[in-house]
Amino acid sequence: MIERTQALWVIYVSLGIALMTMLLPLPMEWRIVRPDFVALTLFYWVLALPHRVGVATAFGTGLAQDLIEGAPLGISCFGLMLATLVLLFSYQRIRQFDGLQQSLVMLALMVLSSGIEGWLRTGVDLPTLPLTALLGFAMSMLCWIPTRHVCRQLRRHYGVV
Amino acid sequence: MLFIFRDDPRVNAVQRGAIDGVAFATSLVIAPLDAWDRLGNALQSRSSLQEEVLRLQQENRVLKGQSQRLASLLSENARYKALLNSARDIGDDLIAAQITSLSPDPARHIVMLDKGVNDGVVDGQPVLGAEGLIGQVTSSGNRNSRVVLITDSAHALPVQVNRSGLRAIAEGSGSIDRLVIRHLPATTDIRVGDLLVTSGLGGRFPQGYPVARVTEVIVLEGDAFATVFAAPSSLLDRGRYVLIVMWGDLQREAAP
Repeated sequence: MIERTQALWVIYVSLGIALMTMLLPLPMEWRIVRPDFVALTLFYWVLALPHRVGVATAFGTGLAQDLIEGAPLGISCFGLMLATLVLLFSYQRIRQFDGLQQSLVMLALMVLSSGIEGWLRTGVDLPTLPLTALLGFAMSMLCWIPTRHVCRQLRRHYGVV
Repeated sequence: MLFIFRDDPRVNAVQRGAIDGVAFATSLVIAPLDAWDRLGNALQSRSSLQEEVLRLQQENRVLKGQSQRLASLLSENARYKALLNSARDIGDDLIAAQITSLSPDPARHIVMLDKGVNDGVVDGQPVLGAEGLIGQVTSSGNRNSRVVLITDSAHALPVQVNRSGLRAIAEGSGSIDRLVIRHLPATTDIRVGDLLVTSGLGGRFPQGYPVARVTEVIVLEGDAFATVFAAPSSLLDRGRYVLIVMWGDLQREAAP
């Protein structure tokens, strides 16, 4: 049986909303602990619908993120794309994990993607994240379960396949 | 891939449109918060408003008094300069702008202003806060522009110690209340409390705007160089109103 595409827009709207959370004003010193909802939402959709959301979506998401941050275009794409690739190779296993284990996977993916972004930034002489960015990753990790819950509700409600 | 096209004009055009787009999206996101603020302002009591008006009038009077002196000093200065046969300073034009948002990237100190190309903003223009230089315009959309603050760790600017005329490069440290001057000879005459002003070297910043005040001079014994820390004169994370300076060649290039 061939699955028909359905309600794909939910994916892009949820990614858009995640991008909007980047725009919420925070005091300068607190930006570092902002949970990375963009990556979390992207990873959720890759995990849930690997045949719909993949490296190309990751690329687009990274571009949007760079536009919002005012960073050189494409600098955060590669990290997200690689993390997505890792997920695509192992989504069957990661789906079996419980919430905590998945959170740890998300932490690892986040460190991977921002590590790669850090390399690229060093390559073009841009400032990289300080070590306190680990706090932000920890926050993102804590936000994995709520994000997964919300996205799952969305997916079931709109029957996204 | 996109690194290769980094300087492509088409990418720049997209980026320019994107700046306006991002600014618009930001304004949508913060609209409810703004409305809350406005409600608070509207409900502010009459007496506190009157108090504020009185305070501002007082301040205005003091400033007017000071500017009277400034005018006479300016003309005096111009006469001296004429005597010395040096070029006459031309007053800089200013554009008042407002900081609308902060880049979400925690590694950078980038803010968005509500003035863009349509208002005469050009990339590279210096931006002033209430008490001194705060940064420079790095990219501009039609109605909005991005400003890198002087404390961004990718930013450095030529400064001069006001007291001694010593020239140096003040680099951003990545922390909002600190600039760093490296590679000054350990025997240099620089002290805590010295005012750093723009030196005008490099032609990007006009000369004489206050930048920072020295807070710490570290000379390790046996080291050839001192490390100097300075705190920006303007509180970079406070206040919303800034001035964009139109001056020199930048403006002439922009003129049609």
